Amino acid sequence: MFKELDPILHSQLRLAVMSLLIGIKEAEFTFIREKTNATAGNLSVQVQKLKDAGYIEVIKQFKENYPQTICKITPRGLEAFDEYVKALQQYLQAGKE
Amino acid sequence: MPNEKSFTEKESLDIITSMIQKAKGSYHETGIGSILWGSVIAFNSFVTYLEIRYDFYIGFDVWILALAAIIPQIFISINEKRKGRIKKYEDDALDTVWLVFGISIFALSAYRIIVGGATQSLIKEEGWVMMKHYLDGRRPDEPMQPFVPSFYSIYLILYSFPTLVTGIVKKFRPMLYGALISYGLFIFSCFTSTQNDMLLGTFTAISCWLIPGIVLRRKYLAQKKAANV
Repeated sequence: MFKELDPILHSQLRLAVMSLLIGIKEAEFTFIREKTNATAGNLSVQVQKLKDAGYIEVIKQFKENYPQTICKITPRGLEAFDEYVKALQQYLQAGKE
Repeated sequence: MPNEKSFTEKESLDIITSMIQKAKGSYHETGIGSILWGSVIAFNSFVTYLEIRYDFYIGFDVWILALAAIIPQIFISINEKRKGRIKKYEDDALDTVWLVFGISIFALSAYRIIVGGATQSLIKEEGWVMMKHYLDGRRPDEPMQPFVPSFYSIYLILYSFPTLVTGIVKKFRPMLYGALISYGLFIFSCFTSTQNDMLLGTFTAISCWLIPGIVLRRKYLAQKKAANV
């Protein structure tokens, strides 16, 4: 029985954001945009979806009079990512067999 | 990066791998701190070596420069924190390791300065003194101040410690190899005089900090250049 792939994570940009955040404590929005090559508008929408799902925490603050957005993965996000990778492994394993 | 386009499990795996690699390969340290300390400690050790070797004094304690280097280091740290766009899990732990290293170096320096005179006073109270006795009798016996032989070896082992931790945790080979070379130099220094220990200290600072700092700086600048293209 295959586990269903989490629809929140099974999107290229959202998966890229989660994969980027999984190995680090926190990252600025500009860093994520640079690494994913996404547009600011599209990234904002996807970040908001991840936030609404409780997978990431978004902190908006001011740094030297400039707005700064910091994203960090939540324990729920970690769990969801782990489940997603496990499900992915199942699919890939089945593909090999 | 496209968003909602359907994609295969293999593509999912590729995205995950590529993004994890991008995050891992992101250098947020500029390398300047490492270059600063590598240069200062290498220079100080080498000048001290020359002073002992050729029996002269430059007019002030060259190690004052190590104290002075704290000021630019504070600015470097503040600047790196300000410019840093990511924070890795290990960052706080490594910052603490280097802070404790700094405290330990100053504690060790205080020990070196204080303990000789203090021990001399204590043994004087007990009514005896340490004497230097020449086996061939070429000079008369003379009193001497207690000291820890080959003391700089302890500094070498201390220099290696945070460097090795950083090299292992960050999987940064130049620092890992630098620390291992430094441990080798420490073992070697156990058999050499203080004069030569100073020369080994120069090599330690170069291998632990200066070379890794230059490598880090080049990677940081290459990354910065790529981001601006």
